[in-house]
Amino acid sequence: MRKNVRSDKKINMVKFQRSLFRIIRQMKKEFLLLLTDKFNMLLAIVVPPLVIFLFGFMMNSIPEGIHPVDCVVISYDSNVYIDEGTFNESLRDDFTLPYVNAANKSEYLNLIHFYNATEEIYAMESARMMLLASDIKVIISLPVGFSEFITLGLPGLIDCIPDASDIKTIQDNLNAVFDSVKTFVNDNNLTPQFQLTGYEEFTIPEGYSFRFNYNITLTLSFIVFGVSMVLTILVVVQEKPVARLLLTPAKRSEILISKYLTYTLILIIQVILLIISTLVCRLYLAGSILDLFIALFTIGFTGLSMGIFISTQSKTKTEANQLFFAVFIVILLLSGIFIPIDAMPIYLQVIAYILPLSHGDPMIRGIVTKGKSVFGFDFFALLILSIILVLISFIIFKRRKYEV
Amino acid sequence: MVESSTEIMVDVNNLNVIFDKNHIIHDVSFKVKKGEIIGLFGISGAGKTTIIRVLTCQIEKKNWSGNVTVTNFSPDKKQNHPLILHNIGYVPQLELLNLYYELSPLANVEVFSSTYGLDTKEAKKIAQELFKILDIPSDTWNKRVKHMSGGEKKRLSMAIGLIHKPSVLFLDEPTTGVDASKRYSILSYLKKLNQKLDTTMFIITHDLEAALICDKTAILREGRMLEFDSPQNLINSLPSNGLVARFEINDLNEAKITRISEFSPVKKVLRVGNEVVEILMESFEENLPKLIQYMIERGVTVNSMSRDSASFRRFFQIRIQEEEEREKLKKNIGEA
Ligand SMILES: Nc1ncnc2c1ncn2[C@@H]1O[C@H](COP(=O)(O)OP(=O)(O)OP(=O)(O)O)[C@@H](O)[C@H]1O
Ligand SMILES: [Mg+2]
Repeated sequence: MRKNVRSDKKINMVKFQRSLFRIIRQMKKEFLLLLTDKFNMLLAIVVPPLVIFLFGFMMNSIPEGIHPVDCVVISYDSNVYIDEGTFNESLRDDFTLPYVNAANKSEYLNLIHFYNATEEIYAMESARMMLLASDIKVIISLPVGFSEFITLGLPGLIDCIPDASDIKTIQDNLNAVFDSVKTFVNDNNLTPQFQLTGYEEFTIPEGYSFRFNYNITLTLSFIVFGVSMVLTILVVVQEKPVARLLLTPAKRSEILISKYLTYTLILIIQVILLIISTLVCRLYLAGSILDLFIALFTIGFTGLSMGIFISTQSKTKTEANQLFFAVFIVILLLSGIFIPIDAMPIYLQVIAYILPLSHGDPMIRGIVTKGKSVFGFDFFALLILSIILVLISFIIFKRRKYEV
Repeated sequence: MVESSTEIMVDVNNLNVIFDKNHIIHDVSFKVKKGEIIGLFGISGAGKTTIIRVLTCQIEKKNWSGNVTVTNFSPDKKQNHPLILHNIGYVPQLELLNLYYELSPLANVEVFSSTYGLDTKEAKKIAQELFKILDIPSDTWNKRVKHMSGGEKKRLSMAIGLIHKPSVLFLDEPTTGVDASKRYSILSYLKKLNQKLDTTMFIITHDLEAALICDKTAILREGRMLEFDSPQNLINSLPSNGLVARFEINDLNEAKITRISEFSPVKKVLRVGNEVVEILMESFEENLPKLIQYMIERGVTVNSMSRDSASFRRFFQIRIQEEEEREKLKKNIGEA
């Protein structure tokens, strides 16, 4: 019995050694196979540190310090003032200009325009348009009696209308306005307290989840872009029998067009389902459903054409997968999620604006929270990008080598 | 009737193919009539696939020259390509790369037949007829192709090549990778289809047995066409119409072979086994007894003897060998 156990042990040991030997040999084979595909190796080993470098570089090259908030000032000041002693009537707006100067001076604010509402009756409408177009972040409004209150030593009143569609920045914007008020008070040796009143523009009505609405815009553009891309990434590389199809009267362009059309149909279904499900989850949609549909479709179509483009130009499935991964990471890093795009150095901004996801979120956010029309800069940027990708994919596919 | 049987389906005159200074095909010419089965034979690298690629519009005009027509259209004009591709079928060598494995046979049929403008119903009807001729079991018709056996896949691939009733069907290595018994059945299926549909067939193959079903055989070597004729005519062109004497000889060696070759009527001595030679000679009947006598006199002990007619395999061997010897000679003269 004992002897048997011992010899069993020995046999097991030998078995183990043999198995180990085979594994090592198999590993060698794996390495050899890996090395045959240089491109793959490149992606596996070179790309990850490259991504980190890119990320680090981006983070480090963002100028530290203040990023001024774009704003406009509207003055409703300059009301009729009756001197108590002399009963003389006069117009009083002694403090409007000093405030504007203070706002101009503040390094936290970037004063885009000053409206005198007594002269320009559509001042507020114009300013709202700018807020809608994201040209400014906050409207600073000096109410009727602004100067009068200050003269009388009453607390000064300033109305603030920040863009609330981006909750992360509301506080920053208000702080920037406070800074201008501080400068104003110091420069003019004023004592009164100041009170910022006002309301947030583009907020979500009662009964809707603020958090859901705020986060869904980003999620939507990611899902629709990512899924379309993943779906199409292998669509050309993995279809070997195309070689045989090309020995029939089928044309290359027909083969690729049918791929685009099929996946476009799938995209349409996907977008419809996405919209329905977000509405079911109580999305507050300020704009129209059609605008949202067109926006999501455009983002998805960019993903689709990017996927097919990568697929046409990859020789193997692994290459396509790797390329997808690399491209997706860069798109992600430069999408404006981690770092606001206008805070990036200019050359990264150029790349960011060429990449699709930098347009997706602002476009959807504009429609969902501000009720903007889809047809803006972001839409046309995506349109042009996808047209270019489609054209290139056709050119590459025409030249792709197929052998039966 | 007579007219159609002489209709030329493929006409190749002085075909030359050059890939960046590599001259691959040299002055190849041949004609193929309607309904013929042509076997294209040659050792690896001879240029078989290249010729077929010219005929099937896969090689750019800048790489080849010569007058070529396929079903009366020349592949040198791009606008002719759809016309030619409409008239021909192609059965590629590897099913893995040329069938949709995740789809069913009938779905595959639909994919390929639609490119010829066939409607689904019609295509399926033709497909089912072909499947029956090719013995593709009907329970596989709607299952995925990947579950079919190797031979079934091959036959499915043939059916798809024939779905639009092409005038010419090109088959690349239809019997390679198929076991011996199935090889014959594939060949007989091809013959059957050829007879039923009157399809002209072009078979590229290493498999010399395929000559059995060929009306004409082409032998290619290093891009040159050595022969183009019916297998029987080729065999008949051998001394004494290809009659061979097969001897089993004790302790066969090179010296003995040389000695036999020295007998003047002997044209060729082929060693076909460890102790077996096959001998071709002039005036076979007359010289056979003399040869035996000669061998006995020279101390070559014959264990057994049989007579046979040369197979195409033998002809092929002889012809290739001849060509190699001729080339060696040429080289030697050149060096001298
Ligand atoms: N596109 C090409 N560029 C350069 N050389 C080529 C090209 N295509 C084929 N050749 C060469 O032409 C020669 C003939 O090739 P081909 O494929 O026609 O041979 P084959 O007779 O079909 O051989 P096999 O039986 O092995 O398939 C080979 O030496 C090959 O290397
Ligand atoms: Mg070949």
